[in-house]
Amino acid sequence: MSRKISIDPITRLEGHGKIEIFLDDQGAVEDCYFQIPELRGFERFVVGRPIEELPRIVTRICGVCPASHHMASAKAVDGCFGNEVPPLAHKLRDMYYNAHYIHSHIAHFYALAAPDFVCGPDADPAVRNILGVVAKVGLEIGGKVIKSRAQAQEIQQMIGGRTTHLVWCLPGGVAKGLKKEDLEKIKPMVAELYDFTQFSLDLFRKIVLGNADYVNLILNGPYNLKIHSMGLVDENNAPNFYEGQVRVVDFEGNEICKYSPPEYFQFVAEHVEPWTYLKFPYLKKRGWKGFVEGIDSSIYMATPLSRLNVAERMATPKAQEAFEEMYKTLGGKPCQALMAAHWARLVEMVQNAETLQKYCADPEITGENYRVVPKQITGEGVGIVEAMRGTLTHHYTCDQNGICTSANLIVGTTNNNAPIHMATKKAVSSFIKPGIEPTQGILNLVEMAFRTFDPCFSCATHSLPGEMPLHVRIHKGGKVYREFRRCC
Amino acid sequence: MCGFTKEARSIVSSAAAVNVPVKTLLLGMGNAILCDDAVGIRLAKYLGERLAHAPGLSVLEECSVGGLNILEVVTGFDRLIILDSIKTSGGNPGDWYRFSGESLRETMHLDSVHDANLATALELGRKLGIKLPEDRDIHIFAVEVQDNITFSERMTEELERDFLQYAEEIYKEAAELVS
Repeated sequence: MSRKISIDPITRLEGHGKIEIFLDDQGAVEDCYFQIPELRGFERFVVGRPIEELPRIVTRICGVCPASHHMASAKAVDGCFGNEVPPLAHKLRDMYYNAHYIHSHIAHFYALAAPDFVCGPDADPAVRNILGVVAKVGLEIGGKVIKSRAQAQEIQQMIGGRTTHLVWCLPGGVAKGLKKEDLEKIKPMVAELYDFTQFSLDLFRKIVLGNADYVNLILNGPYNLKIHSMGLVDENNAPNFYEGQVRVVDFEGNEICKYSPPEYFQFVAEHVEPWTYLKFPYLKKRGWKGFVEGIDSSIYMATPLSRLNVAERMATPKAQEAFEEMYKTLGGKPCQALMAAHWARLVEMVQNAETLQKYCADPEITGENYRVVPKQITGEGVGIVEAMRGTLTHHYTCDQNGICTSANLIVGTTNNNAPIHMATKKAVSSFIKPGIEPTQGILNLVEMAFRTFDPCFSCATHSLPGEMPLHVRIHKGGKVYREFRRCC
Repeated sequence: MCGFTKEARSIVSSAAAVNVPVKTLLLGMGNAILCDDAVGIRLAKYLGERLAHAPGLSVLEECSVGGLNILEVVTGFDRLIILDSIKTSGGNPGDWYRFSGESLRETMHLDSVHDANLATALELGRKLGIKLPEDRDIHIFAVEVQDNITFSERMTEELERDFLQYAEEIYKEAAELVS
């Protein structure tokens, strides 16, 4: 007689995800499915609309990373209008986007990742949150978190006019430039943000690296996958979040491929399974080989860790130091320890702050040539940026009147669908064993496997209570014989 | 359709005592292109127009942020009126409910999907000394919805058909608060 454990829906996850765990007679894991039961349809929704409207519409796809969709969409629309974009517009977009990264990474690290480490993975859920973090590390640190996030938001506001639901990027550039007086306000905030990135790295060293159990969990726990890494890089193979080429490197460090945005369909394909609406991207030239690890696998991940795995160096000096320290501690590069993504976010944040410093010192940044009116409609464009949670691709076509005829989106989390499925199964198999009942702590350890991907399966859906409660059902012999809820 | 949680009107005594208009923020939560998720935004637009002359009232028709971001939105206000959607087990689309900030505390221990939730964010803000509305001055009106995952600029039939009815009912309660 087998039994089934359902974790539905998953907490701290945008959208509705569901984990089905099947146990055998002895209570060992037989199989595990990570399912997304929602059907979306956004790509159909935009067909028939003026193509220049899409960057304004796509921000509504997601309340978590609206700027990522705005940027990828703007670049795809640039392509539809012949890529007539002045260099200053790209600089301003990149500057905005680095500020956006900082605010997002701060929220993820302090509100989502830190509770597991500061409060402990098996801590009472009532205290395993940002309030629990502040209770342990002090109000002063809580104040720094709030202030730094607000500063990153204010910088975005001054550059792009809005922090959420941007309407700033237009075909041929951006709608407004950066005023000199605003730049003077931004400079001291950037200096403080840089200090905050160093503070965050120190905190990580003390709280996580200073705890042997956590280091052991990161390096030797079940949270690792021998799969490949994807990320956007510049001409020096350093991470770039706004533009560049997509590089894929295997887990031994060898480059598998490197492609420009318009070539994406030659390198990435999507596999469909009947038990989920979400597709499984894979490396097209290798073909779909199933949910398997190994050097011949066609599965890749697109995460903060994978972005550093594909990079040969960081783009800025202090980020380079942090990068070297991270890989030295982790035992070399690339790294398959998925939990190291939390550390990678902090390393990225250093590059974000240093990039902002670079733009603050750029005499051209307050210039006037931030937009040209495109003179042609060329009909097709692909925009790729690194969303905080993975490589984001927007591909549009339009007719001679600029009306959208097709749209294809491969979003950050979709790239990670197969790795999330595999990581969850690995964690389930490791923690749920015969004779061990799944406690709240064990279930949180399972959830930690996919939370490291910061998965996002939905958009800005908002209905009260605004939470994704955890509901666990254990089935035996076709009946629910045990059921318990957490936080609901 | 009914507001089943009939709480007592809250009194913002400190401001009222000196006859200074209470700073109230009317906040529409949701996503305008996600079917019924737009109901909070539609309500904010409707109530904002009806209450345009209410003293001290600010209206933010479309707010799609949550978590720590919400702190920046509500900082400095004495009173908060949130218009939102809700999905309850067995609920009828178009029914609406009224909650207080105090009832949000029941979910404070939860972490949100990509951030802290509203109650956690408010609690954190208060601990840090940020000026925020008290729980008793946070009023939430939530309409039961059917579909908040399909991209559409229209709400489902029941919510569109009955909009004026439940919007007017909620308006009356909100008007009492800000009058």
